[in-house]
Amino acid sequence: MSLQDIILKLQEYWANNGCYIASGYDNEVGAGTMTPDTFFRVLGKHHWKVAYWQPSRRPDDGRYAQNPNRVQKHNQFQVILKPVPPDGQNLYLKSLNYLGVDIHNHDIKFDEDNWASPSLGAWGVGWQIMCDGLEITQFTYFQQAGGINLNPNSLEITYGIERLAAFLDVKDSIYDLEWGNNTSYSQLRFDEERQFSIYNFEMADIQMLRNLYNLYQKEATRLVAADLYLPAYDYVLKCSHTFNILDARKAISVAERNAYLAAMRTLASQIAQKYLLATEQ
Amino acid sequence: MSDFLFELGVEEVPVAEIKPILNQLKSLLQLKLQENQVKFGNVETAATNKRFMIYFGSINEKAEDKEEQIKGPAKRIAYDEQNKPTLALLKFLEFNQVQLPDISEIDTPKGVYLVVDKKTEGRYTTDILQEIIPIILKELTFGKNMAWNASRVSFVRPIKNILSIFDNNLITVEFAGTHSTYFIYGHTLLSDTPIQVKSYRDYCELLAKNFVIIREEDRKQKILDEIKEVEDEFNAHVRFEKEMLEDFIYNNEYPVIFHGQFDKKYLELPTEIITTFMIREKKLIPIFNKENQLLNIFVGVSNVPDESQNVKKGNERVIRATFEDAKFFWDNDRRDDFIGLREQLHNVTFHKDLGNFFEKTDRIAVLVDLLLKENNQTSLAIPLRRAAFYCKNDLVTRMVREFPSLQGIMGGLYLKSKDEPENTWKSVYSHYEPKGFQVSPLDHLGAGFISIADKMDSIAGFLSRDIKISSSKDPYGIRRDTNAIIKIILDFKLDFNLDKIITASASKFVTPGKTIEEIVKSIREHFFGRMENVLKDFLSYRYDVVNAVLNTKNLFIYRIALKTHDLSKIVQAPSVSELIALHRRLKNIIKDPGEFTISEDTFIQKEEKILYDIFKESRAKIESLMLNHRYMEVCSKILEMKPVIDNFFDKVMVMAEEQRLKENRIALVQQIDQLLSKIADFSLIVE
Repeated sequence: MSLQDIILKLQEYWANNGCYIASGYDNEVGAGTMTPDTFFRVLGKHHWKVAYWQPSRRPDDGRYAQNPNRVQKHNQFQVILKPVPPDGQNLYLKSLNYLGVDIHNHDIKFDEDNWASPSLGAWGVGWQIMCDGLEITQFTYFQQAGGINLNPNSLEITYGIERLAAFLDVKDSIYDLEWGNNTSYSQLRFDEERQFSIYNFEMADIQMLRNLYNLYQKEATRLVAADLYLPAYDYVLKCSHTFNILDARKAISVAERNAYLAAMRTLASQIAQKYLLATEQ
Repeated sequence: MSDFLFELGVEEVPVAEIKPILNQLKSLLQLKLQENQVKFGNVETAATNKRFMIYFGSINEKAEDKEEQIKGPAKRIAYDEQNKPTLALLKFLEFNQVQLPDISEIDTPKGVYLVVDKKTEGRYTTDILQEIIPIILKELTFGKNMAWNASRVSFVRPIKNILSIFDNNLITVEFAGTHSTYFIYGHTLLSDTPIQVKSYRDYCELLAKNFVIIREEDRKQKILDEIKEVEDEFNAHVRFEKEMLEDFIYNNEYPVIFHGQFDKKYLELPTEIITTFMIREKKLIPIFNKENQLLNIFVGVSNVPDESQNVKKGNERVIRATFEDAKFFWDNDRRDDFIGLREQLHNVTFHKDLGNFFEKTDRIAVLVDLLLKENNQTSLAIPLRRAAFYCKNDLVTRMVREFPSLQGIMGGLYLKSKDEPENTWKSVYSHYEPKGFQVSPLDHLGAGFISIADKMDSIAGFLSRDIKISSSKDPYGIRRDTNAIIKIILDFKLDFNLDKIITASASKFVTPGKTIEEIVKSIREHFFGRMENVLKDFLSYRYDVVNAVLNTKNLFIYRIALKTHDLSKIVQAPSVSELIALHRRLKNIIKDPGEFTISEDTFIQKEEKILYDIFKESRAKIESLMLNHRYMEVCSKILEMKPVIDNFFDKVMVMAEEQRLKENRIALVQQIDQLLSKIADFSLIVE
């Protein structure tokens, strides 16, 4: 099954299960969790069911296109179910079935892995789902976002699309995968991975990125004060991605790291509060 | 007799939480049944990450009947002049739901009172269970809680089902939005529909049919047996920690062992890295041949049978990616100037009040130097100074950032790859070891010195900042570090005075609010406390022996341990009574403080002259025996003097009228006491 088939199938499956199908966000994010469709919507009382395909950037995971399943930009399929359905695990297993996985003949494990995002003040309890030793999904019951306790809680299911494809297609490397209709993953992504790995680890201009980070943070702070929490959040995302490149470049010391994360967390929590104030009245 | 079966079905609970939860469930149920006067026999329990089962094979259908005498009003106010019951009596009857004929009278010192013997029939156990099950579930405590539904109950993981049957009948209970039913779930992947259960026999049989091996021992045995088969096939042996076995036992309701292979080229990576990645990233078990060389084979535990070989092949693909990652970290880190990384430690905080790791390594170097001098090991000074400076460099490598458990090990391996001398890299490699007292000993003396210095620096630092520690609260692992220092000293038989190291370390943490004396005092108290704990609890020495030996001024850890060992033998010999009597007698005489010196000419009686002569002669011998740690012989030497000492006490009046004679005699007694006290305070031994 090609990557594009997986995306189409998952969209179909979750649409049939009541989700609205969103587009991925047009800003660099480290994970589907960081998009407004998740970050804001898990806050507050209103119910929410969404599914979307989100390319996600993790500069530190780049491997110069030399690792069979680790890349600095990968594709996630993100599902948010709010409130938590009573049979979430079963819904998930059925989605694997829908993709053609024979769940009786694979070792599918719900392996303890509590998710936390120190920059967003968010955390949840859950598992990484391993299939024959390969992590294919993150399954999380959200407890907090922007430092705020969530009620109702949301269930987040995040599929790693490349991992899932490598598993379904029994390929040793994701670069052997087909994206769809005779277009290969390698053709689309190989050079991108190679170039961005060189950029993230070797070429990124540290001073420029520090300056950018400071400008983004300033802008976010200014916008929060003006109650423009949506654009403010965009700038927090920019801060986060810039920070991630600096981190991959080994430009951030352990002490600094905590200061950066604390600054982003403070902003995220102010933004979450502004959102709640505006929407829950 | 009835029986009661309870199962709580849950979504996958973390392994570390399982046993504590099962124990709580069992003891809370037992406790609450007892409180409610319900009698029961043996209780069986079992758990996996998906379910907790408790079974009472015999339990009474009802609680015990209760008979009690309830005291009512005094007779004089219970009846009026016409001998009619008063309001007080009527209310008493009404409240206890009894009639006038049920009443009897008793005599008390305060006069005659009315009483009623009341028999309350025991409640049905099912009613009691219905009441207590939700209470018990609510009382459970967990390492980490979560909420998931509108009940807002905070629990370890979402609840899937509650089975609660008493003699084949459902007890209806509700907790966190889940109602009890006759249904349970089988294996997540191998059993599709809920299973109806009416009895304990059903429960066991249907679980087995639905691929759940309910007993821990059975799962464990299956895992170990199947691992053994792989070992035999390859004439090799696996090596893994107990926690990993626990993980396999509880995370798989139907464990099946599989094995696979990986490309031999990955064996070029250091074994420590390969095994860490296998174990921590993939929960796969490494396997070694007879020569203890790692093989390109791994063993894993699947939760489903692997006839299709999907699991094996999947894991073979995955492990390759994992090793590629390991190789990426290893290759990239080695490209860096490892020695130069020390500069980056300025940016790595050790603790917000205690500076950064660059400063810490400077302090470690000073302590290591002193340790080597005190132990006559100065030939190690040059390689160990390098080890001290660079022992924390790996904190800024990719590998350790990704796998903190490899700290130290990676530092050692990177130093080795930079051709540092063996005494340098090996000292860094295991300087985080030992982690406590009851673990394997270090195999490298240099690592021992770095480890002592590093840990002493942490202990002094944290204690100087008044960090409170207790058995339940030790955020920085100070107790564990102290035990580790004691262990290193004992394992390598390091005979030196730890006080010098303590003072040197304390001097680095003096602040305007904290003098060196205060810091030294708290570190010493801490070490004496830990020594006591090690000797009594870990090495099981008699408490009075430990107290007697620890009544000493200096922290010669190794000597203290030797003395405790010898004294434990000495106290078993009959002659110990004589030593105890002697030491008590000496101590009685010198109760009053005062320092006196002996002047030979002031001895006037024959008995004191003889004692002094013999004492002088023995003292030289005893001190030399003492230096060689031959404490048993010291004791016999002292006992040899006993008749002379006794004679002295019998014939000579120590508390003489003449001050000069008295002080001289006390001085002699003091010196004998000091000699004996060098071994232990025998007066503290309990006969």
